[in-house]
Amino acid sequence: MVARNSVRIDLVIARVALALVFTLPFGSAGAQTPGGARPAAGELPDWGGLWEVTFAPGIENEPAALTPEYAAQYDAYRAAQQRGEIEDSPSANCVPNGMPGIMTQPYPIEFLFTPGKVTVLIEAYSQWRQIFTDGRRHPEDPDLTFNGHSIGHWEGETLVVDTVGLTTDTALGGSFGMRHSDEMRIVERMRLVGPDTLEIATTVHDPSALTKPWTTTRVYGRHRDWNLAEYVCQQNNRNFVTEDGKAGINLEHEE
Amino acid sequence: MNRSWILGAVCAAGIVFAVASPARAHHSFTVFDMTTEKFIEGEVVEFEWTNPHTWTWINVVDEDGGVTKWGLEGMSPNFLGRRGWNKNTLKPGDHVEIVIYPLKSGEPGGTFLRATLEDGTVKVMFGRGP
Repeated sequence: MVARNSVRIDLVIARVALALVFTLPFGSAGAQTPGGARPAAGELPDWGGLWEVTFAPGIENEPAALTPEYAAQYDAYRAAQQRGEIEDSPSANCVPNGMPGIMTQPYPIEFLFTPGKVTVLIEAYSQWRQIFTDGRRHPEDPDLTFNGHSIGHWEGETLVVDTVGLTTDTALGGSFGMRHSDEMRIVERMRLVGPDTLEIATTVHDPSALTKPWTTTRVYGRHRDWNLAEYVCQQNNRNFVTEDGKAGINLEHEE
Repeated sequence: MNRSWILGAVCAAGIVFAVASPARAHHSFTVFDMTTEKFIEGEVVEFEWTNPHTWTWINVVDEDGGVTKWGLEGMSPNFLGRRGWNKNTLKPGDHVEIVIYPLKSGEPGGTFLRATLEDGTVKVMFGRGP
């Protein structure tokens, strides 16, 4: 009986603790802050399970409108590819794609809603993004990183994410040859468009690289029964790309 | 050039296009001849259930009776584990028939498309089934 009672007390304590965790940091539900409205945890949509990008036809994404300088750079890259001079990009050496490419890998992602923050776990290259929804602003002079600095707010059931501070080591879009400046800013609008369908519309702003913002929309399918799996790219990577872009495969194998 | 050849080529291009986008995550396919399906059979030496790719090592008996070990790059354990494969799907000593896209270099390697196991089961790794 003592054991059963103590279990119940544990449960009560856990429930109270949970209630505190989910109410205190939010303050009053819907209060306006620099980051926008902050719904209480219970008001957030159900984004549970894992999401994998689908490549189903149907969404026509417009090509990027590159400025002359960046268009020339991209054209030169593609010409070098066609001449066989550039065969691959640094991801062959296990360098992660960075934003926005890391969001459209053929591996699932998972969203964690905690007070003041949405965390995106990205299976590819075992990456994560943290999106602050506590009302803070971007740093004045952010470090330049692969996934950048993200702040978000909810507009109804749409999570709007604003990302800056992106290293120019990564690509602007689908091809590694499409480059961007350190002014690149990415706005994502994420929302459920069906019971198990999440849509992310990604708009890239870059006054140096683009003549107008570039929006691409992707759809993700929900897999509630999947779990994230480890992805250590360096474990057994036999692909490589040299500094001048030549691709190769290491076929040495010891039994 | 007859009609079925054209149809086949269009289908092959479609398959490459359909699978290239998701599979391109880690590297490009420039080192593989994506237009030629090659058939090899032999005995599994090792099935490496590793990221970023599984690797299947298989001893193949050549026409002159010698044995060459082929290395076949496959989809990752993360991808395959969600699609009916596991680390024991191929075991050392298993006799398997495998369809691959071979390396352009002529070295004994390629991309693993699908396999027929000893019991006749066909396991698709990449692209569509046979």
